[in-house]
Amino acid sequence: MDVEANRITFWFGCNMLRHAEMIRLSIMLLERAGYDVSAAGGPAYCCGTAHDHQPRGASNMAARTVARFNEAADKDGRGTVVTWCPSCHMHMADIMSPGNAAAFEVAHITELLAERADRLAPLLQVAVKRRVLLHRHLGFATHVAVNDRVADLLSRIPGLQLVQGPAHPGHMCSALAAVPGALAKAARETWAAAAADGCDTVCTIFHSCHRELSALDGRDTVRVRNWVQLVAEAMGISASDAYLGWRTGGAPDIAAIERADESRYHTLVEPELRKPAPL
Amino acid sequence: MTKLQPARAETTEAYLAKAGPELAALCTACGACFTACPMVDHVGLRAADGKSVTDGLRRLAMGEAAPAETIRWVGACAKSGLCVAACPEKEAGLDAMLLVRIAKGRALNATHQLPAKQDPTMFPRIKIFARLQLSDEELAKWM
Repeated sequence: MDVEANRITFWFGCNMLRHAEMIRLSIMLLERAGYDVSAAGGPAYCCGTAHDHQPRGASNMAARTVARFNEAADKDGRGTVVTWCPSCHMHMADIMSPGNAAAFEVAHITELLAERADRLAPLLQVAVKRRVLLHRHLGFATHVAVNDRVADLLSRIPGLQLVQGPAHPGHMCSALAAVPGALAKAARETWAAAAADGCDTVCTIFHSCHRELSALDGRDTVRVRNWVQLVAEAMGISASDAYLGWRTGGAPDIAAIERADESRYHTLVEPELRKPAPL
Repeated sequence: MTKLQPARAETTEAYLAKAGPELAALCTACGACFTACPMVDHVGLRAADGKSVTDGLRRLAMGEAAPAETIRWVGACAKSGLCVAACPEKEAGLDAMLLVRIAKGRALNATHQLPAKQDPTMFPRIKIFARLQLSDEELAKWM
């Protein structure tokens, strides 16, 4: 099958599976921008970046994932893999493709949406009356100007006032979590900047920042939203956020817990949901 | 759009084995990447000698043991990427962030100067999160 520019694979990675609504909203935005989307993620599409301590296993994971995307390009005409996660994107560009022949190109979701922002702009009809601090990181700019792309999209939302937050080290918050004190410093600086600029919302760009900052939602009356949620809000689409609700004291529906495996929920998931906030 | 490199090896493991010494050969251990790195402050290394630390980086990428300060620095890499532009050998093909990444891998798997942080619960936990939220159709189509 010929590769077509509009047929894409949206590779959302592993850890974004905590945020199902954000996956669905991303697909919706890409579709409204005119793309034919096939989504893929989870352990079966792992890039291997989290397995540096197992070089053979990580190498095999990378080979399997590249092979799957090669097949999608060959058999389904999907010659562009669209990333969400900066780790996956950098790992593909710097390590996976030099070790595995790739028959596709890679773009970040913010690049595709910013490129077709004129197509999305007429859909942004609902005023989002928020003063929003953009939570930014220094990293990933080596590959994609993601902070600028998200700012460009948010600037098109009627009623929204955008304030550039401090640019923190790392490519996203999970990278800081491994260094004692680093994540707390980034969270503290983010909240201080939001207060200093009179912001009522902190906007995350990546899933891991959203994961880490969710527990702070409502602190000092500052809410936490991801950029896809704000764009959806401007389209009149209600954007729920289950993970944020769970991190701020809620719990999944009991039927959902039973379906997911109750004992594993209590041992694997609940401790994460109840861990202390980074501040 | 990120243009992907053509394959230079049969596997990523083989590529990294080759790329480490290649990048290390381009490195002059000038210390510019170390100076530019914001994580240096987080691990209390701002007063350290950047040339010595990056000499250790070069050696580590070739699979040799490195000084403790180098290990502490590469262990704290959060992929800020400021090292890439700061490197005076960038035009010669030296990707400083990749060099640090490979060096960190060597410290984990070759010199064993960094402890492996294994999390065997990562995938099972992600699968539970997926099953808490995705429909059967989404689980079948996406994963």
